[in-house]
Amino acid sequence: MIQELFVLIYAALIMGYVAWNIRKGSFVIDPSKLVLVLFGIFLVSVAGLVLLGSGLAEAASIIMKIGAAGVMFAGVIPMVAASVGLMRFGEEYGPNVFYARNHITGVVDTTASLVMIFAGILIYRLDLVAVGFFFFMFIPFVGNALANAYYYNFQRRLEK
Amino acid sequence: MTDLTFLSQFADAAFFWGSFIFMVACSVAGLACIRLSLKGEAVTSLMGISCFTTVAGVSLYLISLPELFNVGFARDTAIALLVIGALGTIIFARFFRSGD
Repeated sequence: MIQELFVLIYAALIMGYVAWNIRKGSFVIDPSKLVLVLFGIFLVSVAGLVLLGSGLAEAASIIMKIGAAGVMFAGVIPMVAASVGLMRFGEEYGPNVFYARNHITGVVDTTASLVMIFAGILIYRLDLVAVGFFFFMFIPFVGNALANAYYYNFQRRLEK
Repeated sequence: MTDLTFLSQFADAAFFWGSFIFMVACSVAGLACIRLSLKGEAVTSLMGISCFTTVAGVSLYLISLPELFNVGFARDTAIALLVIGALGTIIFARFFRSGD
């Protein structure tokens, strides 16, 4: 039971940080610095556990699993925000709302693939990383193909 | 030798709940995608279905992980959904673009 309480605090911290980023509209801490800070925390945690007498592999595995959970929690807020956006942008915004929806589905795709890639790295699942990376490569092509199709469809309808 | 039982249990619980809540968020996104695909015209429906294959594929892949529910066959379905879904969207978008 006490573990679930700590999980709740951990989830609230990560989701709060991600929501703060979304609310601000830009990164609170620059990602290039944040990644280094997180890597430093990881190294210090593993080194601390090893110095306390636990095995290196076991300590690294546990800390990386906690990191993978953090990646999952971080993906929740963009996913829910994108769902709300998809629900809210209705036909009343005119024909060009398609491009806004296309952007929102791109957010869903990107969040899903990044969660697969980083969670896969952190739990040593290279198949998850490979599929996520393969899918990540496809996202721009899918968005572009859809926008292109809509544009030419719309032009044809205007001509008629 | 330090006893890592508490930390290990915390890691397992955090991973389980993180994945579970992420799958719930994927389901919410899936509902929005289904609504989009049912309400819109042809290209919008294609976009909604493409997005739905993504969230369904990711959820199925998470279900297949041994650390979670260990449903082995869900992995193949997830790979098929993610890869063929993206390819099929591009191919159908080309059809819609040419108007044939």
